[in-house]
Amino acid sequence: MTAPLLELRGVRAGYGIIDVLHGVDLVLEPGQVVALLGPNGAGKSTTLGVASGQIQPSAGQLLIGGREVNGAKPDALARAGVCLVPEGRGIFPNLTVSENIRMMTFSGRSYIEVQDKAYALFPRLGERRRQLAGTLSGGEQQMLAMARAMSTDPALLMLDELSMGLAPIIVEELYGQVAELASGGLSILIVEQFAQTVLGVADTAAIMLHGRITRTGPPNEIAEELTAAYLGIDVGGHDK
Amino acid sequence: MTRVQLRPSQIAALVGGVAFLGVLVWLNWAGNAVTRDGFLVATIAGLSVGSLYAISATGMVVVYTTTGTFNFAHGGIGVFSAFFYWELVENADGLELPNWIGLLVVVLLIAPLIGIVLDVVLMRSLRNAPMVVQLMVTVGLMVFLLTLTGQLWQGDRPRTIQPFWRGSGFDIGDFRVTWHRFMVIAVAALIAALLRVLLFRTRIGVAMRAVVDNRELTALNGARPGLLSSFAWALGASLAAIAGILIAPELNPLDPGNLNNLMLIAAITAAAIGQLKNLPMTVLGGLLIGLLSQHQARWLSFGSDWPFVRDAAAPVLLFIVVLALPQSRLAVGRVSSNLRPIERTTTWWEGAIGAVALILFGRWFARGSLNFGVWDPGEWDQIALNNGIAALVLAMIGLSLIPLTGWAGQINFAPLAFAGFGAFIFLKLAGESGNLLWLPVVGLLCAPLGALVALFAARLSGLYLALLSLAFALVMGKLVLPHPKIFPTIHRFEDPTLFGWAIDNRYDYFVTLLVFLGFGIFALVLLRRSRYGRRWIAMQDSEAAAATVGINTMLTKVVVYAFSATLAGMAGVFWALSKGSVDSGRDFEVLANFEIVLLMAAAGVALPSAALFLAFIPLTQALGGRLDDGGSVPWLVWLLDDFLAKFGPGLLAIGMVVNQRGAIFEMGRGFAPILPWRRDAREEMAQERAAKTTAEIGGLGLDLPFTNETVLTLDTELGIIDEVTPSGGYTHGVGTVPR
Repeated sequence: MTAPLLELRGVRAGYGIIDVLHGVDLVLEPGQVVALLGPNGAGKSTTLGVASGQIQPSAGQLLIGGREVNGAKPDALARAGVCLVPEGRGIFPNLTVSENIRMMTFSGRSYIEVQDKAYALFPRLGERRRQLAGTLSGGEQQMLAMARAMSTDPALLMLDELSMGLAPIIVEELYGQVAELASGGLSILIVEQFAQTVLGVADTAAIMLHGRITRTGPPNEIAEELTAAYLGIDVGGHDK
Repeated sequence: MTRVQLRPSQIAALVGGVAFLGVLVWLNWAGNAVTRDGFLVATIAGLSVGSLYAISATGMVVVYTTTGTFNFAHGGIGVFSAFFYWELVENADGLELPNWIGLLVVVLLIAPLIGIVLDVVLMRSLRNAPMVVQLMVTVGLMVFLLTLTGQLWQGDRPRTIQPFWRGSGFDIGDFRVTWHRFMVIAVAALIAALLRVLLFRTRIGVAMRAVVDNRELTALNGARPGLLSSFAWALGASLAAIAGILIAPELNPLDPGNLNNLMLIAAITAAAIGQLKNLPMTVLGGLLIGLLSQHQARWLSFGSDWPFVRDAAAPVLLFIVVLALPQSRLAVGRVSSNLRPIERTTTWWEGAIGAVALILFGRWFARGSLNFGVWDPGEWDQIALNNGIAALVLAMIGLSLIPLTGWAGQINFAPLAFAGFGAFIFLKLAGESGNLLWLPVVGLLCAPLGALVALFAARLSGLYLALLSLAFALVMGKLVLPHPKIFPTIHRFEDPTLFGWAIDNRYDYFVTLLVFLGFGIFALVLLRRSRYGRRWIAMQDSEAAAATVGINTMLTKVVVYAFSATLAGMAGVFWALSKGSVDSGRDFEVLANFEIVLLMAAAGVALPSAALFLAFIPLTQALGGRLDDGGSVPWLVWLLDDFLAKFGPGLLAIGMVVNQRGAIFEMGRGFAPILPWRRDAREEMAQERAAKTTAEIGGLGLDLPFTNETVLTLDTELGIIDEVTPSGGYTHGVGTVPR
């Protein structure tokens, strides 16, 4: 059996002296699509921060492809094929669309390759290639951010609240692209607040509460529990 | 290409400007015959000088677009590099390298090294600092580099840097045009083109701009942000070095301050014309300044009434450009980080005690009644008293910055311009006499000047506001105040009088100043507690929020500028009286303004007591002088007189990298728990200590190994040591902890 692509073992991490993660265990097998769900402040983004090397864990291990990579810099992980599309808009607002795409070539792909792929997937970006990215609409900005995931052929993709602040139709379109990537065998870790958005994409879902992963299971089962968690009903009593 | 569209008001401003220029030319026409040769020579010289400005300015723009820091030390780096080049190439006792090799060594080796050191040592810690702190640190760095250059290459002999090809060239009519000038034009064009390609056509250039936009995302893309920043600083320093070395032949002899002025002011103006980001416009701006100044020098004559008008083209242009710039974009949705300490407001009686203590302490000290048990200072002699007076006057000027910069958050590089204006009004009102009863009138008359500046400054913030105040300081210092109708070249004042009492000796004047200063600090403490103080602080925290709770921000700004001008103007009266004479050509130098602002910022400009910090330079000099008289401790004299007095302002401002809230703030924080009535400070300290302990305990067993010592600490902290700890201490693990 091959080692999991991404594994967090008992990870604790936080900001300054305040710990946000209190021992997170998470496994992402090759080709798996895992959705990490939970309310605000549960530690979802911090988990992605640890997995992408932006936040150093104060305890526990971060393993990628079975190798411990605690302390690796985010840019080194990025070059190794870890691709995080951060919360908000993962773009450079004062660079043009084509310059944003040029920045994606640090992953090792050639400019021509990345450019062709990105404009083929999102023709609207091709029309606006000379425009400053900050002047694009919210949906177009998120497309540009997604273009990095789509065109640089990463080994592991992590998406942080892709749907935030976007019209449902655009969210649907973006997750359609994600589903396509997933069917191509890419391993994806998706962070969202609401389960519905990822039901069609993820094959496993995990609920995160107060810095711990409290439950894992198929997404449609988890959705119900998540609602309970949001409404403040005790989740522990719902064990099967 | 976007078409340039002008609003009617802009067209009016343009027409007005051209008309003004026409009148200026018509009135001051020197009467030289306009010949083809003369025109050609002035144009070539203008293009050449303008190219030098353009090189310097493109460097600043590149650093700004690739690091996000507007580097006031750009000129300072150029000055240091130029002197280093002199050492390698021109120094007769040195290596005497060929000039090309010298240029390459400095530009490709020394300057990049300076840039990288700056990035690693200073700029990294400044990345998330507020704009004011970044600004102060780079200004401090500039002052430091100029002082360092001045100390390393002292003025014991005149130094010059030969132009390339030793000044050979060709003649147009009676004028010689050197190859050096042609080369400079070519180099400027080449640099501008290369930079354009680098920043927009290469991946590393795009990545450098990306780092400023979003550092984290740059790393997530796989680029190395740290390396990119270092490269950007190295590149910026190299550009500064090229500019410094090529400009240096224009000066004979070479002087750090003059070279810096030559490089910095015009470069800032050109950069502002390019809106700090547009390279082609920046180059055009540099050429425009060069052409303006050279043609002006050839065709116009302003007579002896305007002695510094030749240096004034750039400052006047800067003033206009900053005012004409499009409205700066508001940063919406971002809480601006500001560093006004979250302080407990000083009570009125604390202020009163402080003021009285200051007055008594100052008197005793000057009388020699306090001797600290170290050495007997003795009664101050005239020189020491003069230094003391200078210290107090500086502190009074510094007071004017406290409401303006410290509370309302308006950066002001021109305190001396206001002070000089106050001195001028006093001269007109009181004549030669030093009657201090005119003081309130002077204050009232200075207020409109402050209000006027406020009207200009109202729509600007941050960097642009700083540039406007710099332009104001330069225009006042170069054009207005040195005009003989304002100050006769060197003006003498009589001894000051108050209610008929002549303050005719330095000791009495010192004590008078001490009383005024003490009163000023006390008044500011009261003002800080008033609704005006609260309004100004609200405005600094968030102008938008202040407006939504019903504060008229425009009026509030006008009031604070007017008030600051009043304070500075009254301080200016004391300043003029204390000097006895005003040398209008030198006393309002922009560098003197910088030193005041830097020391105030380093002290913590929001606190009234910070003004006392300005006494720093004169007092170190005074103490150094006294020790020198005593003939003792030469290293201490050197430390006070040579090192602290000269390097102090720059180093202290650079120190803001570590201590952004200011020295007075930190000192007050450490001192407060000792005061018997400050229970709040003691509680805060206890809380902090507890938080620290918790943090340490929190890490136990995770990243901190459990040792016997930590277990003991934990038990002591929890108060359970007596019940749980076995007699004889813990015996497991390494060693034993005795009870």
